[in-house]
Amino acid sequence: MNINDTLLVIVLAQAVLYGTPLLFAALGELLAERSGVLNLGVEGMMLFGAAVGYWVTQEVHGGDPEVLALAVLAAGISGAAMAAIHAFLTITMRASQIVSGLALTIFAGGLGLSAYFGTELNLADEPSTHHFGSIDVLGLKDVPVLGPVLLHQSVLVYASWVLTLAVALYLTRTRWGLNVRAVGEAPASADAMGIGVATYRYVHVLVGGALAGIGGACYSLSITPGWVAGDTLVNGAGWIAIALVIFSFWRAELCLTGAYLFGALAALPFALQAKGTLDRLPAGALRAPELYQALPYALTVVVLVVISTAFAKRRLGAPAALGVPYVREER
Amino acid sequence: MIRLERRLDRPWWLNVAVPAGSLAVALAIMGVVLLASGHAVWSTYRQLWEAGFTGNGAFSATLISATPILFTGLAAAVAFRMQLFNIGAEGQLYFGAVGASWIALQLGGHGATSTPLYVVAMCLGGGLLGAFWALVPGVLRAFAHTNEILTSLMLNYVAGYFLTYLIFDSSSYWRDISSLSGQTFPQGKPMPSGAEWPTIGTSVVVPLGFLVGLAVAAGAWFLYSRTRFGFEVSVIADSPRAARYAGMRTRRKILAVMALSGLIAGIGGASQIGDFTHTLDPTGLQAAAFGYTGIVVAALARYNPIAVCFVAVLIGGLQNAGFTLQGVDFPSGLVGVMQGIILFCALGGELFLRYRLRITRRARPQAGSTPATEAAS
Amino acid sequence: MERGAGPAGASPVPAVRMTGIGKRFPGVVANEGVDFEAAAGEVHALLGENGAGKTTLSNILTGLYRPDEGSIELYGEPVDFHSPRDALDAGICMVHQHFRLVEPFTVAENVVLGDHRGEGRRFLVHPASTERRVAELGKQYGLAVHPRARIWQLSVGEQQRVEILKALYRDARILIMDEPTAVLTPQEADALFGTLRAMAEEGKTVVFISHKLHEVKAVADRVTVLRAGRKVETVTAADATPHSLAALMVGREIAESQPLEQARDLSEVRALEVDGLTVPGDRGRSAVRDVTFSIREGEIVGVAGVAGNGQRELAEALSGMRSPSFGTIRVGGRVLRGGDPREAIRAGIAHVPEDRLGTGLAPSLSVTSNAVMKTYRTRSFSRGPLLALRRMREAALRIIQRYDVKTPGPATPVRNLSGGNIQKLVLGREFEDDPLVLIVAQPTRGLDVGAIETVHSYLREAAGRGVAILLVSEDLDEIRALADRILVVYEGEIVGELRTETATIEEIGFLMAGGENA
Repeated sequence: MNINDTLLVIVLAQAVLYGTPLLFAALGELLAERSGVLNLGVEGMMLFGAAVGYWVTQEVHGGDPEVLALAVLAAGISGAAMAAIHAFLTITMRASQIVSGLALTIFAGGLGLSAYFGTELNLADEPSTHHFGSIDVLGLKDVPVLGPVLLHQSVLVYASWVLTLAVALYLTRTRWGLNVRAVGEAPASADAMGIGVATYRYVHVLVGGALAGIGGACYSLSITPGWVAGDTLVNGAGWIAIALVIFSFWRAELCLTGAYLFGALAALPFALQAKGTLDRLPAGALRAPELYQALPYALTVVVLVVISTAFAKRRLGAPAALGVPYVREER
Repeated sequence: MIRLERRLDRPWWLNVAVPAGSLAVALAIMGVVLLASGHAVWSTYRQLWEAGFTGNGAFSATLISATPILFTGLAAAVAFRMQLFNIGAEGQLYFGAVGASWIALQLGGHGATSTPLYVVAMCLGGGLLGAFWALVPGVLRAFAHTNEILTSLMLNYVAGYFLTYLIFDSSSYWRDISSLSGQTFPQGKPMPSGAEWPTIGTSVVVPLGFLVGLAVAAGAWFLYSRTRFGFEVSVIADSPRAARYAGMRTRRKILAVMALSGLIAGIGGASQIGDFTHTLDPTGLQAAAFGYTGIVVAALARYNPIAVCFVAVLIGGLQNAGFTLQGVDFPSGLVGVMQGIILFCALGGELFLRYRLRITRRARPQAGSTPATEAAS
Repeated sequence: MERGAGPAGASPVPAVRMTGIGKRFPGVVANEGVDFEAAAGEVHALLGENGAGKTTLSNILTGLYRPDEGSIELYGEPVDFHSPRDALDAGICMVHQHFRLVEPFTVAENVVLGDHRGEGRRFLVHPASTERRVAELGKQYGLAVHPRARIWQLSVGEQQRVEILKALYRDARILIMDEPTAVLTPQEADALFGTLRAMAEEGKTVVFISHKLHEVKAVADRVTVLRAGRKVETVTAADATPHSLAALMVGREIAESQPLEQARDLSEVRALEVDGLTVPGDRGRSAVRDVTFSIREGEIVGVAGVAGNGQRELAEALSGMRSPSFGTIRVGGRVLRGGDPREAIRAGIAHVPEDRLGTGLAPSLSVTSNAVMKTYRTRSFSRGPLLALRRMREAALRIIQRYDVKTPGPATPVRNLSGGNIQKLVLGREFEDDPLVLIVAQPTRGLDVGAIETVHSYLREAAGRGVAILLVSEDLDEIRALADRILVVYEGEIVGELRTETATIEEIGFLMAGGENA
């Protein structure tokens, strides 16, 4: 049997596929949180990005590359538009970041704007016309293990690698990165040194929203091309992305590892079903697909607990001013 | 330029004016949304009002919609009040439904017929299982400092899959495998007839669950405003360091508040079984998203249990009207959009409760005049 | 724009001229009609008691606040600052009382932060060249600090050097120092004065904010005195005496608090005994190491030391807020388990924490709630699980009256009270419980003269009633005015114990700097 057909390689290849939306969203949330703004609206922004991205592929006619590029752009803009609400409420109106983020998820999510958008435009009835296919990089897709896992993926995957590197370098090596870290750690100090706290926060929350929107589009344009009513398309990935930022200690390169770990868990039930592995298990709970579907969520809880107990006393890299509105002129 | 100043005192009328203003702004924004998507604004609002409140039988239907979100709203409010963001009311309600239906089926198996017995037992069973599910994030928060927002949310998904498993992928106690329809399509066992909760009133039909919810709200209000427990919660909410300094047992309070929150959500699950569905229905429960709507209700009520009752009826009316009108003129999702806009406006409005807007014109000396003359002296 | 306005002091146009500055905050007029002028090449002191408007005035000069009225000129050019960046670009730098540093960053990163003219204009950061420049500047001005050290690893004195380096790196022409000596030993303060004078001699302007008369005399060329938000007068430092300055500052004659000259007769009963106490700090290392001392009934023991030498952790361990790793605490002969505030409260330990508003009080709750925050669970305020709301209110009114807490009413959130009234409320609450021992940290920080006198008298009265008091303060004058005995701490250890009537400032300062280690 070809090694590339084994369950392990299939799961690894799918882990990269399923991890990519998590990676986009987590990098976006990481940028927002580094500036000191917690945005719990990731789930909603992702779903809305997925809806708008898919809508563009239905409305615009042309070749795959142009249409898909436009769709990703639109998904990003719509994610940023949702994030703008959160930014306005928390930065300008000084509302609670937690409540505003929850409100955003409810507003933009599967019972709100995304559903409204989907039904108004009949997205669910349209068959998918454009989607991201896998690229056979240098014709190496059949190389054992590495081929399917790393060299036969979509453009979105390769873009996410570039983005990870870019975010990591941005935060550690550039002046803006230094400034945004200062804004997240000590806004009063940054302000005194002439750095515009509100501007930095707005920009990073918006960029974070754009990346969440693109992450959502990964689902509707690549993983399961199409639109499904309700919130099953993204199904909690936004929340896992927020947890990923904690797992990665607010560092971009660790986001990548974490995203693929959770991608693997998300891919597991499909891979198991595809290979018929489940049917070979003894009858009972072990065979239930729900067990495997619940795994990523249960494991998120486990990892969160491990991290919070193991590092309870130490700095995790969490920005010191995360969640705290900054007000200059107050006594 | 516009400047914000913190308010030292809050005039009483602000507590009325600000929510009213927020609602007005929300209605205006929704009007724009409706216009933009090609709907008539005024007639939509009128239809909503009729379908939600004034129409024939509308208010009774509204109370049905309001009952579950009254429970989840209270569940969120009692926890959020201590800055404990339990957003797991969704899953806790599922578990409440599981517990209540188990008890009801058990009692039915033993031939019980007394409805009061069923009501009490179902509330107890549902409440306990809800509290149990809420204590998972509670214990993790109290002893491992794990962020309860993420854990309680993740557990919603786990609870949802568990619910699906019980009815769709197992031959569990709850699943109906004897009847013909149950064999063709997976469904839960029907409850014994004694487990159907009564309703009160004729012109306006009030579900028993709604009254239970009102009683819970009154209890929560008393607990938070008149007892030592409530006092401690308010100090912990405002400054955990001050609470520790004053010798309060924060950890126990976290466990107690989470358990209370889960208990209320669990009773909500029991009321779903007893008042409405009379069977464990995973698809319906998950599609309704009562837990998340409860967060909207609690936030709009600013976590005040009494206000939760009114807001639940208001949002229940909106939801009920949404169901009634659903169709081409009123696409699904619009209700969620409206809820979101109302909540955003309420959140933004809070600023005006805490701050005063001052428009300042900077009195700057006329350019050139002062410096030139005074520099010489 | 010209740079370095001619030789020191010779410039006819003042470096800074502020005219008719007014600034109001809700409930407070911070500045009103203030005129201020400072020349190039001078150290100009801004003198006034807490709340006189010194910090507000300097925050306006640095662009952090916008004035409601008035105008600013620099070297004769009118300026209008919209943000701190405008002021920085004009060459104004301020060293705030609470340092504006980013803790996890290195010294070099902090120095280059926000600089958009030289090194910092490049998109990519080049740590090596910044570090080199920082090291050079440090050598030139005698401000030794390792460029690659992270801020949280530095002592408070070193952190202040980083702040000054930030200004030098930006070629600041005007440097504002807000109460810079509060965190220094007397010897460190002298070294700082040397640096400031050197900067003035290069033609820079140093604005030195202080409420300490002898410092102002020691370092400044001229002194502008503020009182209640208004300017009183500008005088030449050489012509002024501490006495005349004090009169200008307070507007009346004040008796300077004299150190205790004679030992008081004290009871022999030990209220608090601490033996071999070691307490962990926030970052894992021990913050308090093997500390042993005792306090007798009615005795006031002062703990002197530079900030960050374990004082806060010691106070927290005694009040149960932090678990000690070794050692015993005895109150009235009974051993405490430690790490449990409720146990400490029951044993009779009262605690006035350094962070009064966030730790000592719940800021948005009412005066009533805060007044009974420690006693709500006793018989007097609760019956079973229920609260006796009326009695709580009565207790609050009692404290308000007895300790002269100025508040619109018992239902007002404590956040809205002034600093002095907040401290009176905390003290009142702690005394109401008849404690054996009182742990009090920085009791008068940020208070105005009137409130300071009141707080001191409350502490003396309590000692007179037999309360054993541990007074943690960074203000040596305060410790010398109140304490019977002084413990000096350095890096978590007690490095000296002195009797107040014989101790000299120099001796205390020497010990605070680590004694023979320094």
